[in-house]
Parts: sequence; structure tokens; C-alpha cells
Amino acid sequence: MGDAMTIDFSMVIPYLPILFKAAGVTIVITLLSQAIGTVLGFFLALGRMSNIGVLRGVVWTYVLIFRGTPMLLHLFFVYYAAPAFGVTLDPFPAAIIAMSLSTTAYNCEILRAGLQAVHHGQIEAAQAVGMTWPRILRTVVLPQALRVIIVPYMTNFISHTKGSSLASVITVPELMLTAQMIYSSTYRAIEILTAAGAIYLLLTSSLTILQLWFERLLRYDERGLSNRRRRQLLLAVDSNG
Amino acid sequence: MIEVAGLHKQFGENVHALAGIDLTVQPGEVVCLIGPSGSGKSTLLRTINFLETPTSGTVQVDGDRVGFHEGNARQRRMNGREIAAQRAEIGMVFQGFYLWPHKTALENIILGLVEVRGMSTQKAARIGHELMKKVELGEKMEAYPEHLSGGQRQRVAIARALAMNPKVMLFDEPTSALDPELVGEVLAVMEKVASEGMTMLVATHEMGFARRVADRVVFMDQGRIVEQGVPEAIFGNPQHERLKRFLARILV
Repeated sequence: MGDAMTIDFSMVIPYLPILFKAAGVTIVITLLSQAIGTVLGFFLALGRMSNIGVLRGVVWTYVLIFRGTPMLLHLFFVYYAAPAFGVTLDPFPAAIIAMSLSTTAYNCEILRAGLQAVHHGQIEAAQAVGMTWPRILRTVVLPQALRVIIVPYMTNFISHTKGSSLASVITVPELMLTAQMIYSSTYRAIEILTAAGAIYLLLTSSLTILQLWFERLLRYDERGLSNRRRRQLLLAVDSNG
Repeated sequence: MIEVAGLHKQFGENVHALAGIDLTVQPGEVVCLIGPSGSGKSTLLRTINFLETPTSGTVQVDGDRVGFHEGNARQRRMNGREIAAQRAEIGMVFQGFYLWPHKTALENIILGLVEVRGMSTQKAARIGHELMKKVELGEKMEAYPEHLSGGQRQRVAIARALAMNPKVMLFDEPTSALDPELVGEVLAVMEKVASEGMTMLVATHEMGFARRVADRVVFMDQGRIVEQGVPEAIFGNPQHERLKRFLARILV
């Protein structure tokens, strides 16, 4: 019955600044890789839908590999194998690259599912009024695809946020690694892990709330047109709104 | 206004959807395409605005070759922008309506004006209001497609095509997906459009409409034009056995 058995959360307080700083690193690597993964995933999704067979094949293979192998492996691979190709990467850029490669594969499939959910007839109708493909994508396909995409996309985003803890293995000073370092010197695993868990939960709940907000934003038909839009369209404006 | 010459369209090895179509539609003329399912009516319309690429043969609309540049030696396929510019001059109404569900009826109508013609939203809205009234939907401007009946959706789709002020209008079985009681309101709008002098090519199973509105009826079967003529001749005195059988089947 030593001191180590007594749980005392107040011991976390002095470590909070360090934990928050580490959470900042978690946020940066997550957001940066997710942003890269979204842009790349979008273009890969277009490639996957292209009528160029080779392009489709390349994207398909990419997804097969990077969705089919652990992100932990990608992290090790980029960090430890890169020097064999004459590049030495610091932990931070290595993590960004590996995490981007991984989440790109998921985003590609999520975005593709959304883009393909739009009925082909609607695209033909847009072609028939003389719209070019980029315009059709922007005005007809994407607004509808977003409704389909938002839930799986945010689910992957949340999963990716938690997955960022794997970057600890290549010594990126993010939340998980920092928590480990603190409890290995203080032997206060319960308190520190609980604090780290609470911070992860805070981050992922923010994303959940963001998702709810997006979902409401995309329920345009329940909301009706804004007054500004109504004025543009020369429709009567509700004076209460 | 529309000139189709030697048009063939093959899907894969064996499906010969169009097997040599020659057809001319004069400015202001209303031509109805009739014929059994799979006779090539849809494919013909879709090839005219290049939603399908012809296997061989040519399509001209208002004197311009659709989809290809005529070279000295060989033809060259137009790029996406050029094809889009041609399609803007050719109105198309689909069997399945295909309104954009995330836009109100009015927004559906004006999207082409804003995006393709570069018109301001307000100016486009003015045109949109007129067209909504023309198709008798002045009260439904803010309605989303899912809140409209099939007949109303198709009338919005017609207004959407008319908004571009096209040189010709193609109708691909515009009433085939409708409940019978909603067919009349769509045909009435089409009749109004026809009476204003629009050049129209209409694939339809509505023989009453063809008889009443068409200047000429074209009977297609197995990718070919089998017989054509004024409605009185086609319906009153059909010559070909296939046309007689077709009419006997549908005009019970």
C-alpha cells in the first residue's frame, strides 16, 4: 500500500501546459495531414472515376496498398526507410507524409462514393444546358455529394485524430508520446492517461459538433432560402427573417 | 435546322442502335418520333446533342456540325468547352426530368443562364420568373423538386431548357415516366412551346399529341426510319407492315 496506489488528479495540474502544447502538435499533424489527404483524395477520387483505364488502375492499387496496411507501418517506413533512398526526414515531416498517405486512401474512397451517388441523369441535364465538367462538378455534383460524404468523412477524420497518436513511435512530441514521457518519470499513469484521454475526447467531440453543424447546414431544403438569396432571386422577402 | 445524315450508332459489337438515319427538321417544324422501345428514338436525340458520340454519320444544327471540326483531311473531335457551347443552343428534356434536387425550381431554371451565359442572378431571375409563369408554376418558384409532382417537375425541366433560348428543343419521351393524369399538363406546355414557333423533335408514345401538334411523324424501328409523313397519313393510311402492327398494338 504505497503512495503510487493513491489516485490524485491534482498532480496533473503542473503538467497541463506541457500536455496542451503536445495537444497542439496533435492538432497540427492531424489537420495538416487531413487537409493534404482531402485534396489528394479528391483528385484520386476523380482519377478513380476517369475513363482512362491506367489512371483508374493506379488509383485502385494505391488505395489497396495504403488502406490495406497499418498507418503504424507507413510511419516506420517513411521515417526509417527514407534514408535508404538518400532522404533523411525529421520526425515531424515524416509523420505528415505517412499520415497523409494513409488518410488519402480513405478520403479517396469516401469522396468517390459521394461523387458517384449523384445520379448520372443530373450530370447529363447539366451538360445539356451547356455546362462544362468543372462547373458541373462545382454546382451540381459537389453540393449533393457533400451530403453523402459528411458522415463517413467526419468518421474518418475522428479516427485519424486518434490515429495520430501512432506518430509517437517516431518520436513526434504529440500528446501520446508526451503523456508516456510524463508517467514514465512520475509513475502516475492513471492520472496522466486520463488527462490525455480527456484531451483526445475534447478534440474528437469538437469534430462531432462540427459534423452536426455541417449536417444541419446541408439540409438546405428544410431551411429554405436566405433573405439575401431571396432578394437576388427577386422573391418576396419575409420581413420577420 | 437539324440535319442528320447517314447516322450510325453502335454500342459494343452487336447492338446497332442507329443503323443509318437521314432526317431533316425545318426551322419551326415539330417532328414526332414514334416507334417501339429500343427502336433508337432516344439514341437519335442523344446523338443530336452529342450525349452519345456517333459511330459514323453527321449531325448538323443550324448549319454547324455537332461535336466535330470539319478538317481538310479528317474530322477532329471538339473539346469539352466547344461541345458545351453547342449544347447550350440545343434544349433537351429527359424522360426522368433530372432536376437538380438541391436547387429550388427557380434556381434550376436559371443555373444555365448564370453559369453558362454569365448572366447576373437578378437578370436571370427575371427570365426565370417569366418562364415559371409560362409553365403555369408561378406559385412554385421556391419549391424544391422533391415537393413537386412529376408533371410539375417536367414543366420545370422544360422551362430550364427554354431558359437558354435554344435553337431547337429535343424531348426524350417527356411524359413516359408520368402518372396518366399528369400527362396532359406537360403536353399542354409543349403545345404552347410549339405554337410559338420552336423547332421541336419529340420522341413520344402520345399518339394524340403527335396527331394534334406534329407537322410530321417519323416512325422508327430497329434503328431505322421506316416511314414518315404528315400525321393524317401516318395514322390514317400507314403503308409499312411494321408501322401498321405498331399502331394496331398501341391504338386499341
